[in-house]
Amino acid sequence: MSNATKILILTSFLLAVIVLIGVVMWNKPHRDVEDASTIKTTPDDLYNEFVKDSAQAKTKFINKVVSVSGEIAETFANEQYQTVVQLKTSTPNVFINCTFEQKEVSVKKGMTIAVKGICDGYNSGDAEMGLPGDVVLVRCYVKK
Amino acid sequence: MRSPLTQQPIRKKYFTKNGLISFFSKAQLENIKADNNQVLSTIDVGTGGIQFSVLINGFHFPKATMEEHFNEDYMESSKYPKATFKGKITDLSKVDFTKDGVYKVNVSGDLTMHGITKPNFSTDGTITIKDGKISANSKFMIELKDYNIKIPKVVASNIAEKIEITVVCSYPNKM
Repeated sequence: MSNATKILILTSFLLAVIVLIGVVMWNKPHRDVEDASTIKTTPDDLYNEFVKDSAQAKTKFINKVVSVSGEIAETFANEQYQTVVQLKTSTPNVFINCTFEQKEVSVKKGMTIAVKGICDGYNSGDAEMGLPGDVVLVRCYVKK
Repeated sequence: MRSPLTQQPIRKKYFTKNGLISFFSKAQLENIKADNNQVLSTIDVGTGGIQFSVLINGFHFPKATMEEHFNEDYMESSKYPKATFKGKITDLSKVDFTKDGVYKVNVSGDLTMHGITKPNFSTDGTITIKDGKISANSKFMIELKDYNIKIPKVVASNIAEKIEITVVCSYPNKM
């Protein structure tokens, strides 16, 4: 086998490996929230941390799997028929807004549950909107 | 039949914290769709004022890597965490909030994303009144370059330069 052939085979092999790594990385799955370890907190503590020190709360919670125990203020289906649970805080009209990835969720208003999900942050309007925001959790599961 | 809105004094402002905004990119190599189901929105039926606020990292993609690139490379969501729209229904007189129907409207206002505000952004949409409940829908295009969103050349064939935005918001709550 000539040197040129060897180089061609080696280059082709390296290219194939690079492409394979690229395809695997591109298709890597989402995090498994259901079995992930969590940062435990309460609805009031979670909301207050975002209000008191937004920068610190972002570092601590955003994109992390958080578990929150609280009373259900309301539950309904969103525009894509996913279950949404609003956990009460002691601030009027402020909730921990939990959108479920779990398909069958057996919950109702007034129940106390523990929810785990990824924290997206605190979505607030400006003063003109006149509406306090919620802390948002997504891809949620009822914590067993 | 009288709608529920006619049986009680009309409240001015309605809101949702779980509206839907989706975007769709149709490019040479692949189509990409992402959804955000935690849209905060208010509508004032007295003035026609309409506002939206959405967390950028709340857009969820079919693939984890797409989500990472979107947040870290294109939208820089830690630097610019929200997109907002603050505007008005310019032809509010077309809408009878006391009568069921689908009303075509125009909305105009300030659209802010990636740290850039486009004033007088205008688009068409519909206001639907059904059994006294209000919902708003719209579909429009935005150009990434208008908001200084840069796509590296190496993935240019994966992401469209013009993105289709779809808004679906029902307003079940009164303020």
